[in-house]
Amino acid sequence: MNEAETLDFVLVSAKALGIPMDAACAERVAAHLQRTAAMAKMLESAALTPFDEPAEIFCPKPQ
Amino acid sequence: MDAQQFSADQLAQGIARGDFTAGEVVATYIKRIEDTDTKVNAFTTRCFDRALQEALVIDSRRARGDALPPLAGVPYAVKNLFDIEGVVTLAGSKVNRSNPPSQADAFLVQRMQAAGAVLMGGLNMDEFAYGFTTENSHYGPSHNPHNLACIAGGSSGGSGSAVAARQVSIALGSDTNGSIRVPASLCGVWGLKPTFGRLSRRGSYPFVHSIDHLGPFADSLSGLALAYDALQGPDEHDPGCHAKRIEPISTALTAGLQGLRIGVLDGYFHDNASDPARQAVQEAARILGVTAQVSWPDAALARAAAFIVTASEGGQLHLDHLRTQAHDLEPLSVDRFMAGALQPAAWYVQAQRFRRVYRDKVNALFEDWDVLLAPATPVSALTIGTEWLDLNGQRLPSRAAMGVLTQPISFAGCPVLVAPLWPAGTEKMPLGVQIIAAPWREELAFRVAHVLENSGVAHLNPVEF
Repeated sequence: MNEAETLDFVLVSAKALGIPMDAACAERVAAHLQRTAAMAKMLESAALTPFDEPAEIFCPKPQ
Repeated sequence: MDAQQFSADQLAQGIARGDFTAGEVVATYIKRIEDTDTKVNAFTTRCFDRALQEALVIDSRRARGDALPPLAGVPYAVKNLFDIEGVVTLAGSKVNRSNPPSQADAFLVQRMQAAGAVLMGGLNMDEFAYGFTTENSHYGPSHNPHNLACIAGGSSGGSGSAVAARQVSIALGSDTNGSIRVPASLCGVWGLKPTFGRLSRRGSYPFVHSIDHLGPFADSLSGLALAYDALQGPDEHDPGCHAKRIEPISTALTAGLQGLRIGVLDGYFHDNASDPARQAVQEAARILGVTAQVSWPDAALARAAAFIVTASEGGQLHLDHLRTQAHDLEPLSVDRFMAGALQPAAWYVQAQRFRRVYRDKVNALFEDWDVLLAPATPVSALTIGTEWLDLNGQRLPSRAAMGVLTQPISFAGCPVLVAPLWPAGTEKMPLGVQIIAAPWREELAFRVAHVLENSGVAHLNPVEF
């Protein structure tokens, strides 16, 4: 996503989640999200197979 | 009595011997807090009536001839995300002020009370623990006792500052991405982030459920060990508490280095450190006789994944605040909380899937090594208000960069003990070394730390007030 696309994403997503956001706030949030997007892109380079499950938290019942 | 004269273990021994009473100790520390907190701004809540009452109980027990528990009469305080009975749990925020007071102490506060420690109050922090500097806009910044113009680190900045200023001997904090290790490093005190799941988090305000840890700071390694032993205990009511038993380490401190395979982390941990940070590690390695360089797997990816998980879980946790009270949230972090809440689910799931693979790689590394060393922070404490940090040619946002060396380690859940060192080139400011062990092997980090303390290279320094 480029800057304009990230800003669009922020505005639409904020609306979907019910977070009020003025234009100045949306720009700041978009700047943060762009930095995170770069990290997410880097993380996509991790070699994962379809069988690599998420780190676990849930436990049905302690043994 | 001089509060800078005695460490936690010395206070406990002195009270047990009858050199001084718990009441005298608490009175000394109350005066110390009253005299110094205008300078360091560590405390947000003072519990002096409770402290005097708890001290009275200790002195009564001693007068009866009872055996005293290990921390009897030792003053401590807690980051204000720990529940204290009768006190509102602020978690560094303004919006929590309208919450009702806590009905009970947090699990770890109960453990400290059972060990005889005396609670002095609640401590400053970054709002909802999202920060590495404790520049809290609602309650003011906590100041570094070794240079009041500098940050104390965060998010448990009040905890680091209070111990360094000798307002208390022990403090409790939380560490999701470095929030114990960063202030311990910048304030020059001992700190421990135990294995993920070692200590119960029940009764503490959460930040990131899948990464949150709690742990102690102390003014001596023996004090840190006593606190850690006191805090342990399985808790079936915390789904993140995986400990099955108490594994005390106080008696293992002096076991020495024999048989330990120790290395220094290179690559990412070298590239993201300043010269003084590298010197601190080199000095520790010299004392330990360590020359081996070791590469930690996927450190940069782990930091990215920790960043994404933190933002996503933290943002989701505070969704209602973002919807209705955003104007009352911390200006330094509210935009990051919003960005986190909006992150695509695919980023979060990728990060959690990576975490499992990453954990296996880290655990495999510890089949060849027992303890690994790295700087705790890339630089020593920055001036309050600093926005950018120039590090080895990179221009980085300073508040996030303070955690660059801690995030990959906690994401794997490894225990880390921070030893306070004082390298050259920092204008007499401290910079800590991370002593990292495999999950559930805290005792190995303590053994190494004990050698560093005994050598004189790792220690607290007095403050000038």
